[in-house]
Amino acid sequence: MDSDKKKKINRRTFLKGAATTAIAGSAAVTAGCKSKGLLGSTEAFALEFAEYFKKHYRLMTQKEREGTIARLEKLARLKQGINIDIDSTGPAQNVLYGYAFNVTRCEGYMECVQACIKENNLDRKSNTQYIRIFEMEHGQMSPDQGDGKYFHMVPKQGHFYMGVQCFQCENPPCVKACPTKATWKEPDGIVVVDYDWCIGCRYCMAACPYWGRRFNWNPPEIPKEEINKKQHYLGNRQRVRGMMEKCTFCIQRSRKGKVTACVEACPTGARVFGNLLDPDSEIRFVLENKKVYRLKEDLGTDPKFWYFID
Amino acid sequence: MKNPTIKISLFDIIPFCILPVLLIFFCAQAAFSSGIGVAGKIKAATKKLDMKTQVETVIPLPKNIVMANMEYQGGTFFTETRKNELKRYQCSSCHNNKKVPIRNAANISHADIKVVHGEKDSPLACNTCHSKDDRDFLVTSKGSKIDLDHVYDMCGQCHFRQKKDWIGGAHGKRVTYWAGERVVKNCTSCHDPHSPLFKKRWPATYSVPLN
Repeated sequence: MDSDKKKKINRRTFLKGAATTAIAGSAAVTAGCKSKGLLGSTEAFALEFAEYFKKHYRLMTQKEREGTIARLEKLARLKQGINIDIDSTGPAQNVLYGYAFNVTRCEGYMECVQACIKENNLDRKSNTQYIRIFEMEHGQMSPDQGDGKYFHMVPKQGHFYMGVQCFQCENPPCVKACPTKATWKEPDGIVVVDYDWCIGCRYCMAACPYWGRRFNWNPPEIPKEEINKKQHYLGNRQRVRGMMEKCTFCIQRSRKGKVTACVEACPTGARVFGNLLDPDSEIRFVLENKKVYRLKEDLGTDPKFWYFID
Repeated sequence: MKNPTIKISLFDIIPFCILPVLLIFFCAQAAFSSGIGVAGKIKAATKKLDMKTQVETVIPLPKNIVMANMEYQGGTFFTETRKNELKRYQCSSCHNNKKVPIRNAANISHADIKVVHGEKDSPLACNTCHSKDDRDFLVTSKGSKIDLDHVYDMCGQCHFRQKKDWIGGAHGKRVTYWAGERVVKNCTSCHDPHSPLFKKRWPATYSVPLN
């Protein structure tokens, strides 16, 4: 009897017990202090504390996922005074997202970049952008030869434009580089990050041959009224300092059947998004009827992002 | 004495030679056959999918759409309408052979429209597209009347390559949803028919160097 009980107290139960005691203890301590001190409200502190003890997203049960989502939503209400809606829709059957970019059509207006910033709650202070548009001279091919910092009237004579973002590789080197398995490829082909599991080592940033990943050097700053409240746990929910983030094909939109924000914003229709496993989809039409190519195909990363020319 | 010792050491070495070779072989096999790759997955996916059930969410049909009078690879599709966007449609409310007071002429004439369409030395005239007889319609070069909502038939006379791409999905784009019923932008949703080329303008934002 006694030994049985002893056996049952493994590391996990011990930590859980410690956590609850700590929460209760800290609640007692902070209740004793003047409320809304250094740590904010007691409730927010307790929620934040509980957040430290959650599992990796892929190991969570549905109930645990709902628990952490409820906590995050509550925290946003308490700390920022906004009502956010965090989604955890999983991948659908028979869906593999693919993307095509028409090099002929893009005129460099950068509406996509602007829409992406707003949709994905990107840091305004450091001007983080998932999409880069390169202005290329005729005769060039690789974006590293292009000008990514142009700011003048577009389209410029004798130039064409090329957008680069995360290509959602089928064989992603960033996933292999991650020491904590904080990033992985979902069954519908989107490479996502569990922001709470990322330790900020930036190995994935170094591993990515397409400069597809971004690091939060500072706490992201977004004006309160501009925060996109429709969020996804693996997508555009708010990040904190010291973790990686990346384009997720707007997972909060695409899993609801919507096109990504960049596709919707594109004024020239240069961007095509769809299901690669649907033989009737637009993306399949492009792959079958246009001359397409992928960047750095020889690396074997097998990106799901094609360029094509009219 | 010497020979046996050499023999033993050789036997010792052989497994150590074979093992790395096997290891490399299996690693390479794992690396190259871990997945068939995107191309393989695409090739394997030939089964027609029900466009309504690709995602769980119910996808609403937007307002102001009309079924196109042609089919794409997946069947029928919808396109955005044009007439609801025209402020002065019906055209025949003015163009009806009735007299118009001259003091209104400046407001109701189409002097603001500048046609920058067609070749430089032979630009299009109003009547290249607009019907002389029935002002509410467009007319093709062969004389068939075209509704303003089905303007792709009009544009497709010259821009047949773009029309082919548009039907398939390589030109233009879908409205809001990739799943569900296919609803695409019409030609005039993006192009001004009187001056269809996109204008030169400032980009919406700018980028800072990554490093």
